[in-house]
Amino acid sequence: MILNHGTTARVELRVQGLGLRRGNQWLFRDMTWSAPAGTLLAVKGPSGAGKSSLLAVLANTLASDEGHVYCPDASPGTHHRPENCRCRVGIVFQDFRLVPNGSVLHNVLCGRLGWYPWWRTLAGFPRQDRAEALDLVQRLGLRSFADRPAGGVSGGEQQRTAVARAVFQRPDILLADEPVSNLDGPSAESVMDLLAQTARDLNCVVVCALHQEDLIRRYADAILTLGSSRWQFQD
Amino acid sequence: MHVTLIAFLVAVVASTPVLRGSGRDLDYAAQLRRVLGNFVPPDFSVLGATLASLLETVQIAVMATLIAILMALPFSIAASRNLAPFWLVAVTRLLANLIRTIPSLVWALVAVAIVGTNPLAGVIGLAFYSLGYLAKFYSDAFESVDAKVAEGLQAMGAGRIQAFQHGLWPHAQPLVWSHSLWMLEYNIRAASIIGYVGAGGIGVQLHTYYEFGHWSRVSTVLLCLLVVVTTLDILGEKVRATILSSTK
Repeated sequence: MILNHGTTARVELRVQGLGLRRGNQWLFRDMTWSAPAGTLLAVKGPSGAGKSSLLAVLANTLASDEGHVYCPDASPGTHHRPENCRCRVGIVFQDFRLVPNGSVLHNVLCGRLGWYPWWRTLAGFPRQDRAEALDLVQRLGLRSFADRPAGGVSGGEQQRTAVARAVFQRPDILLADEPVSNLDGPSAESVMDLLAQTARDLNCVVVCALHQEDLIRRYADAILTLGSSRWQFQD
Repeated sequence: MHVTLIAFLVAVVASTPVLRGSGRDLDYAAQLRRVLGNFVPPDFSVLGATLASLLETVQIAVMATLIAILMALPFSIAASRNLAPFWLVAVTRLLANLIRTIPSLVWALVAVAIVGTNPLAGVIGLAFYSLGYLAKFYSDAFESVDAKVAEGLQAMGAGRIQAFQHGLWPHAQPLVWSHSLWMLEYNIRAASIIGYVGAGGIGVQLHTYYEFGHWSRVSTVLLCLLVVVTTLDILGEKVRATILSSTK
């Protein structure tokens, strides 16, 4: 699949007949829904309902037991093949997975690794990328920490760095696993503002596991509720 | 714990024959006084030649360490369980173990047989010996890093080399440089000995003085070595602390 940065002609994220088991129990089954480009889809449900597992399946870091995920821009009937289009899936991990002794700015820049061949990033990132990353870092209130090691900033700042890295990637699908769990009210709102704006501006699908009902009501275009082996999708 | 202690005690008892000495009726205290007496006062007339040899010793150690680092980096990637396939890890680890089994003096002997009696033999001998150690240290460092960071980057589209460079290397780097520094310190000590087999450095001088019974000159050489090794220890400790503090 050919990478086409900055494209606006993106299509929906679609799952069909998706099922995932934990041990002998189905976390969810026969899951079918689609989210059009520009949508922020909130995934909610109690702890252990399978929110993180669903996101891992969408990221193709976990294999589903049945069903398929279809990649944006893929030909009809083509399965989601992230080994070909991984760079189009941005992920905010629950445990952040930042390079602890890399600077905050460097971590954000790492979002663009998939854009370039390995030899292009051997001596660093293009100057234009650095400037863009600095703008994003500033917008998230991380400018004064930009040169500090990511392992040396607070949990909330690390979380915002992880969100910035995924947004900086300009993905077609952005998967965020509880991206505001460590943040206070204003910081959580600024991160959700950024994710909602990313969905609109990049015309991508943002899938966000969230617990906070008020944020879900305010930001979500669609809601997927998981729990007790059942699921419910609301536009 | 008890089993280990008992096993150690058995080993100690079984090892007592080595304390018997030559069996000759020697007055050890008098012998010690005589030998130590030969060392003082040090003969500083050989100070110039000693310093020149010391410089050569450090040069041998520096070159050997550099070559070993360059060889050990790719070697250790191939020997890391989280970076290479199982069969490659098994082969490279076996090779590194084999290299470590052979003492540096034997490596130097082999090198002397190939390139003759000169400092190059010392460089080659120490470089190969160091390769065995650095490959192990580096691969341990790579394996100790939380692999989730590099996996996360790969899940977001980074290639394997990019995931290594940006996700794993920054974390392993301080350990790698710390081990390299330790190897340099070790090589300076080892380079003082390999001269015994003709591989250059201060060992050649030490061997000559010893052969001719010039103990006061041996004393000068040892004093100079002591100064260099102690200075290096102090410097090494400071540099290592600085390097390792960057991981915190």
